[in-house]
Amino acid sequence: MFADTLKSEGLELEISQLEARLHDLRSQLDATTYPSPPSSHPDTKTQWTIPSDLYNNKFQSESVRSSSLHALLLLSDSALPLGSFAYSSGLESYLAHNKHLRANPSVSFHRFLKLSIASIASTSLPYVLAGYRHPETIETLDNDLDASTPCIVAQRASVAQGRALIGVWERAFRGSFAAPNRSTDTGAQVAVTSIDEFSDTLKSTLGEVDEYDMGPKGHFAPLWGVVCRAMGLDLQQTAYIYILNHAKAVLSAAVRASVMGPYQAQNILASQSLQDTMMARIKREWNTQVEEAGQVVPALDLWVGRHELLYSRIFNS
Amino acid sequence: MRQPTMPIRSPFESSIAKPGQGNVVLSLLPPNNPTLTTLTYKYPLKLVPRAPGFIPEPDPAALSDKCPSMPVHLYLLTYGGGLLPGDHIEVSIKLDPRTRMVVTTPQGSTKIFKTDSKTDSNFNVIKGHRKKLPANESISDMSQQSLDVKIGRQAAICYLPDPSVPYKDSRYAQVQKFTVDASAKGDQRSSLCVLDWVTQGRTSRGENWNFRFWKGRNEVWAADEKTGKNRLLLRDSVILDDESEAIDADDDEELDIGGMSGSNSHLVHADTPSQAGLVPLNIIQERTRPHGVVGTLILSGPVFDSLGAYFMHQFTSQPRIGSRNWSSESSAPEPSISTNGDVTWTAARVRAGFVLVKFGAKDFETAKVWLGGLLREEGSIAREFGEEALFCL
Repeated sequence: MFADTLKSEGLELEISQLEARLHDLRSQLDATTYPSPPSSHPDTKTQWTIPSDLYNNKFQSESVRSSSLHALLLLSDSALPLGSFAYSSGLESYLAHNKHLRANPSVSFHRFLKLSIASIASTSLPYVLAGYRHPETIETLDNDLDASTPCIVAQRASVAQGRALIGVWERAFRGSFAAPNRSTDTGAQVAVTSIDEFSDTLKSTLGEVDEYDMGPKGHFAPLWGVVCRAMGLDLQQTAYIYILNHAKAVLSAAVRASVMGPYQAQNILASQSLQDTMMARIKREWNTQVEEAGQVVPALDLWVGRHELLYSRIFNS
Repeated sequence: MRQPTMPIRSPFESSIAKPGQGNVVLSLLPPNNPTLTTLTYKYPLKLVPRAPGFIPEPDPAALSDKCPSMPVHLYLLTYGGGLLPGDHIEVSIKLDPRTRMVVTTPQGSTKIFKTDSKTDSNFNVIKGHRKKLPANESISDMSQQSLDVKIGRQAAICYLPDPSVPYKDSRYAQVQKFTVDASAKGDQRSSLCVLDWVTQGRTSRGENWNFRFWKGRNEVWAADEKTGKNRLLLRDSVILDDESEAIDADDDEELDIGGMSGSNSHLVHADTPSQAGLVPLNIIQERTRPHGVVGTLILSGPVFDSLGAYFMHQFTSQPRIGSRNWSSESSAPEPSISTNGDVTWTAARVRAGFVLVKFGAKDFETAKVWLGGLLREEGSIAREFGEEALFCL
């Protein structure tokens, strides 16, 4: 009897491993024909599909050059010096507040990741999309996001990354991506001018404080939208990388907070369920106006705000 | 002796066209006489001024400037103590310079009744006054409340209402907009204290975040009359959505990723067995857990400066999470109200001098005792506005 159970368990394990392998292979296959999420925004072209002649032996430099692949890879690089990995987006505080969940860290982490993605999508993604669609409104977007950020911890994190993004743009990307005849998208040129102007205002108003006129701050989300526009990404890519980078940062924090190992983190990052979650959240907020943006996970505000109360901290948020 | 005029119009007068609208203007008539120069409302809304009972103790040091006038107390009521589907309450309040107003809701809670187009006829039988609702129009059968308050220089509003109690299957959206005078600086600034809280529903009936939609948005704007420019100072927005509805009518197809989801769906589940146990039936419950009530308190302006500082002090002096008491002999710090284990809260001094307090508690009673306790312990609200300002706490 006991031996039987053992045997069936062994079989089940093997089946699940094979299924996982099958799943991986299918995902690889599907990844080559990955379609865009539904879009209602007319001026966006979808660039998800890598042309099928990829399998031809002939090298086609045009397919790489004409797409935004290069910019996409630059912006999704974990080596992009934004300092994103100094922040756990509330994970550290969440773990401290939910000690009773320590028994099953994986379940507990999955819950957090899901909440965190829903929250970033409902609070910040509308600003990313608005920054992309209307780069010229960056200053208003920056002010409104600053007004909507309920705690100092989150504010610091957002501003630090936003200013770092301006720094990277000016010192590294601008030279290659701001050439006037590089893009046919007039929006991209508007975006370049908008960043330049915003950056100037940011530098000139440092330290100048009025009670009701706080001056620009440099929040991350709207700047991300504008920079992506300037670099020729389409709107879907912009939104997808924004959420994916957030998921990566949270997962990286989880590894460093000893919630899981690096392979497990990559496993989650690669999983279809994470993709589905991200897509569903993007789809949900696709047409959300910034005025309608808001916190869908009230508990998260509390965890992030109480990060300051932790006795020992390894992250800045 | 000249009598101050009290032109309180009849609520049945048809000066306001739409039901649920109310309009209040509080002016300071000479020499120092706060008067409601406008007070109109229409069913199902009711606005009742309370006879001014409280007179702030004259503080000789700051008689002329800091305590300019007696607070006027306004009750905000709705028939039946709550909102039916399709009800749209729209209150606009204007506080002239140097006036003070207390607004409370003396009904214990703001009940949000359930939305169900099938029972519309029942509602009409019971509440004969209410207009017949167009069926299947999701926006029109949502209960809505909007509050628009303009606060002049040196004026102050203290708005500590009952919590919103959304019943099972209800849908509700609320927008509260406060506009302060941008040209006022320092001690001349407008002051506001606003509480916004929502509970899980009727716990006696086992409701636990079982409504369909609740959205609360609070905004503070600075308006410059000279330039006509408005600037957003603060926006606090909470959206509790069970996401049972499709978001877009024209964009309705499932997020089907190229046939991938069909063939692989069982694998997705097999892949993440840990998540299977996590998929909650109630998405709002999952996002508010472990709290039974969540809320926000917004404080700004010279009148509430000391209260804001008090909250910040209480917050930063909470015991560190995860710290250990190394000295065995020292006694544990006395348990004070602010460190109540059933309340999780945070306070932040965000921009423009605003103090934002966010809290979650296991139930309404706990939150009420905690918040009421802190406000009474600090004492400035009772001192400036009278004990009745804390009526709901």
